[in-house]
Amino acid sequence: MKSKMEISFISIAIFFTLILFMAVGSLFILPSFQGFIDAIQSEEMVEAFKLTIYTAAISSVLVMLVAIPTAYSLSRYSFPLKTLIKSILDLPMAFPEIVLGLALLMLFGNNLLGGFLEKFGIQIVFTVTGVIVAQFFVAFPFAVRILYSTFNYIDTRYEFVSRSLGYSEFETFRSVTLPLSKDGIFASGVVTIARCIGTFVAVLFLGGGTFMKTETLPITLYLNLSFGNVDMAISAGIVLVIIAFVAIVVLEKYGKEKAL
Amino acid sequence: MISLFLDIKDLNVDLKDFHLQNINLQVKEGAYHVLIGPTGSGKSVLLETIAGFYKPYQGQIMLEGKDITPLNPEDRGISIVYQDYVLFPHMNVFENISYGLKKKNKSDKSFLESRVYEMAEKLKIDHLLKRDTRTLSGGEMQRTAIARSLIVEPKLLLMDEPFSAVDVNTHAYLTTLIKNVIEEYQTTCIHVTHNFNDVYNLAEQVAVMKDGKILQQGTLHDVFSRPSDDFVANFVGVHNVFKGQIVGHDKSLLKIRINHDIIIHSSDVFEQHSSDKTDVMVAIRPESIIFSNEPFISSVRNQLKGVVKNLFEVGHTVWIEVQVGGVTFRGVLTPNSCESLGIERGKEIYLSFKSLNVNLMEYHDDAYRSI
Repeated sequence: MKSKMEISFISIAIFFTLILFMAVGSLFILPSFQGFIDAIQSEEMVEAFKLTIYTAAISSVLVMLVAIPTAYSLSRYSFPLKTLIKSILDLPMAFPEIVLGLALLMLFGNNLLGGFLEKFGIQIVFTVTGVIVAQFFVAFPFAVRILYSTFNYIDTRYEFVSRSLGYSEFETFRSVTLPLSKDGIFASGVVTIARCIGTFVAVLFLGGGTFMKTETLPITLYLNLSFGNVDMAISAGIVLVIIAFVAIVVLEKYGKEKAL
Repeated sequence: MISLFLDIKDLNVDLKDFHLQNINLQVKEGAYHVLIGPTGSGKSVLLETIAGFYKPYQGQIMLEGKDITPLNPEDRGISIVYQDYVLFPHMNVFENISYGLKKKNKSDKSFLESRVYEMAEKLKIDHLLKRDTRTLSGGEMQRTAIARSLIVEPKLLLMDEPFSAVDVNTHAYLTTLIKNVIEEYQTTCIHVTHNFNDVYNLAEQVAVMKDGKILQQGTLHDVFSRPSDDFVANFVGVHNVFKGQIVGHDKSLLKIRINHDIIIHSSDVFEQHSSDKTDVMVAIRPESIIFSNEPFISSVRNQLKGVVKNLFEVGHTVWIEVQVGGVTFRGVLTPNSCESLGIERGKEIYLSFKSLNVNLMEYHDDAYRSI
């Protein structure tokens, strides 16, 4: 027989999951099927989808390339200001994305780094590059956090043994540490892709949210909702949900295969 | 000629919350050296420092006459085996064993396969080569770990409690098997253990560590029969460690008074640092004490009469505590001997031990407090 606590806790879990499911499900109910088909075939939606995938692919790869050495150095090495660096990296996860978007706009605007980069012909603000930079900085702290926990979890004695058998530090990292971190790297990759695809405020601030130019799917949703074009807005939402769902299914499937 | 193979000189390591202090350790070529000491004494840190995982801030590690202190672990030719195997979980048994060899002989696949098979056969794991390491038993995992370390023919093999995670039968089997393989490869070995059977069965040289320092090193006989201080004496199971006072000489023997009323004789050569200080620590191994119901007629110089205070069985032995004046002596007998002597609590009994078995150590206040 189930205890009172067990029944209460399971009820809470089911009730709030159900509300969340209904909220997500309502997206699929509201637009007409024809409205949805028309919306996803519209030029704006196709362009937004292509730009979202393109920018998210680049920013995700960049995030992983930078996050892996960053997380490994935080996990394994001692160096000055390590605690401060860790705190700074955690900061964007704690404060609202709008603050991060504003901060990035200040940095890459004309006054600070933006002016300097412009001398070399690199324009960040209100460009596709700006979209990628925004996605990068939103996803980077999350990726580092997951990878840092992953590397911490790996017993350093695997690396000790490898080195005692003749492998250099980098060879050991490549042939022992990275394969042992596979699950964490994969999880971090999925979260990074999801964050990059779903980022809205920072992308709006740095990319400018220009119609058909720097318009990613979250911005399509926002712009169309502002104009009262509900079918387009909801269809953009559905496409984002489908992308997230595919990412989660892939993660679940991969996780199960690993467990077996 | 037996040469000095590993020579550690005044090694100091700072790990913030733990320090290795002034470590001096000498290991001869081909020797089986055993490191013992309580948990947290720094045995594992010392092994990992020798392997190059921790950098000393002072001191030198000389291997075959060459200073390897500044070298990276991969350039030292030293392999390490851990208690919990540390087999790479993303590789099968074959891949684990061949890992180090693959680095050395990248191109020669047939050589690699034949060497792995040969090593696996010696360690009786040749039927497991395709197995996932997570499906192996403790003994099989440890044999795989040792094969992985030995196949690269290290100059020095370090083993950190390699048999402590396996059951008693596997332990006995592994000890013999691995000793034979190490002897065959003539590998110099440093083995950390808490198990005194390992020490008796394997050690040619023994070092005792405490609080990041080596307290004593020498042959098995030296350390177990002539401990350098009270801690080593207690740790290696001497059990009878008393404060005494040299009160004179009897021919070539020293006369020592324990607890005001007991006089014993020792043939130990004891160097007093100061002639006016006569305090010493006395150590007598329990196995050296002979029990009898009547005075023992022999050349044994030490004979005392006492009362059995306590007796308790430990495995296949019986430990006996006998009160002599204000001092408790501890001895050990087989259950049969105990029964034939009719030993029971409160019975009067004679204790005899040779002057040769009375080991003298320098007295210091800390020693007395620790007893």
